Amino acid sequence: MSMATASGSGSDDGVTVVLQGRITAYTAAPIWQSAVETLIQNPNRPIVVDASRLSYVDDVGIALLFDLIRRERPPDAKVEIRELAPNLAALVRGYNPKDFAAPARGQRRMGVLEHVGFATTEIFAYAKQMAGFLSACARAFRQALTNRGAVNWRDVLDVATEAGANAVPIVLLTGFLMGVIIAFEIGLVAQQFGAVIFVVNGVGVAMLRELGALMTAIVFAGRTGAAFAAQIGTQKVNEEVNAIYTFGLNPIHFLVLPRLVAAMLVVPLLSVLADIVGIFGGALVMATFDVGFLQFYHQLLGAVTTGDFVLGIVKAAVFGLTIAAVGCQRGLATGAGAVSVGLSATSAVVTSIVLIIVIDGLFAVLTS
Amino acid sequence: MTETQLRSDHSGAATGNGTPVISVRHVRMGYGSRVLLNDASFDVQRGEIMVILGGSGSGKSSLMKIIIGLYPPMAGDILIDGKSMVTGSQKEKAQLQRKLGVMYQSGALFGSLNVLENVRFPLDQFTDLSLPEKNLTARMLLHQVEMGYAESLMPGELSGGMLKRAGIARAMALGCDILLLDEPSAGLDPITAANLDRTILSLRKNLGFTFLVVTHELQSIFTIADRAIMLDPVSRSIIAEGKPTDLRERSTDPRVRQFFNRQPDAVEQKASS
Repeated sequence: MSMATASGSGSDDGVTVVLQGRITAYTAAPIWQSAVETLIQNPNRPIVVDASRLSYVDDVGIALLFDLIRRERPPDAKVEIRELAPNLAALVRGYNPKDFAAPARGQRRMGVLEHVGFATTEIFAYAKQMAGFLSACARAFRQALTNRGAVNWRDVLDVATEAGANAVPIVLLTGFLMGVIIAFEIGLVAQQFGAVIFVVNGVGVAMLRELGALMTAIVFAGRTGAAFAAQIGTQKVNEEVNAIYTFGLNPIHFLVLPRLVAAMLVVPLLSVLADIVGIFGGALVMATFDVGFLQFYHQLLGAVTTGDFVLGIVKAAVFGLTIAAVGCQRGLATGAGAVSVGLSATSAVVTSIVLIIVIDGLFAVLTS
Repeated sequence: MTETQLRSDHSGAATGNGTPVISVRHVRMGYGSRVLLNDASFDVQRGEIMVILGGSGSGKSSLMKIIIGLYPPMAGDILIDGKSMVTGSQKEKAQLQRKLGVMYQSGALFGSLNVLENVRFPLDQFTDLSLPEKNLTARMLLHQVEMGYAESLMPGELSGGMLKRAGIARAMALGCDILLLDEPSAGLDPITAANLDRTILSLRKNLGFTFLVVTHELQSIFTIADRAIMLDPVSRSIIAEGKPTDLRERSTDPRVRQFFNRQPDAVEQKASS
């Protein structure tokens, strides 16, 4: 096997570029560069490309040869390839330089302003889609309430098991750590003012009203909202959703309702677990601040009300409904291909978390 | 020609001499304890279009995946240009795999890249060519498969036939001269399938490619194949090897005749009569 090279030599008549050896995808780069440089350095002299010593040429080599002859040069400074195998020469001549004159088009990159405009119209379009989807879900709910068998409870149980029971360990962990962190952070400050006992109030109210539901919802959005979008998105890509439509059935009944119902049931339950372990974590930390478990218990009873607990549960149910609705809607809006499924899952998580925080803010305003 | 082994020297006929480019030797394959194929042996010569035939479930695609080196065979060896794909080191295996261009059934284009970027992808990964050089090569490959007009489209915007042709262009990008195509005509309309057959024949004629094609499309088999082997799911073996027309007209094996004459199973014949 000979090394591939390109060498140029000049004379009064013109310049000769000798190509030799094997020109393949792996060896072509320096040869191509050298040959093109020779052409550029001799813009007004005829160029002869001597191909008699070529031993092997692959697709890249053919592209190289074509690139040399397709360049626009003065009539008396043309590039001519000599001693090229006839069938190879025919192949190179078979390409029309005009077909390759326009620069290759990559994926179009958007400018900043275009991005902003595009994103704004997308937000409006999404809001419209979501409104339509929620109204379809509401109709499906109404039908489910009036018609027995409209909700497949077996599916609800399956989704609840996967999204609820299997999420218990991660919810317990985050809830516990949240209680520990709040108690510790507030405790350090409160200690300076001799108000350590009121940390119990802070932990109790924060866990029951806010953090139990909020942390559970965020975990649920990352774990289950993304899964809903990916599952339904894959079904959309595989045309399973179309198959449901062509049976004259509504995919919202089959794919969305069980998930909505399951999410509305399991997120409050998970939230209760998060509340319990969060408060337990707070109690453990408070023990290090010389607040015993019994003292913690009595202080907690005086600090929180049933209303705080109920508010947390209601919020959790709304969060669950929101996460499931966003996940399912994103899944049903999936385009073609694996990339779209990934985008739907990402979008479901991001949208869910933003909506959870917005809804939490609304609850705070309404219940203040 | 002595040293001069230009790729385009092939005029269409297989050389049939020298080391086979693909040699399958006494291969046994399957999944778990389920054996799909026993003691399969055949060679593919340089410049040849060899077709693997067989009904659904006979292990055609699995055999192709073993030849590519995606899975090891249970027994036997696969030689690419005389070197073992099975016993070699991981590095040797990767070098052999780079000699093979593969088109998967669905085209397997990367969804986040447009057609030109898909075809350019192997050049981006393995060569030092500049972007304009890679773009020119990729565009010429797309012209070879009659897809020049679609270079800026995304895979999601392509039809089945376009996906397959773009898949072939990408398979050719690194200059490998052995192409393995998994069901190129499956699911295509007759015109698109015929166009694809023409593309395969023109690639062999112009660029001297060797093809190993998995298919059960009879029309395509008679159009492109120099030779064919037929797999049988019941006996789990190669039951026929030869030119497709010879197999159709001269084979004494009823399974081969049934396949080429497109006849239903005997039980169904009774039921329908």
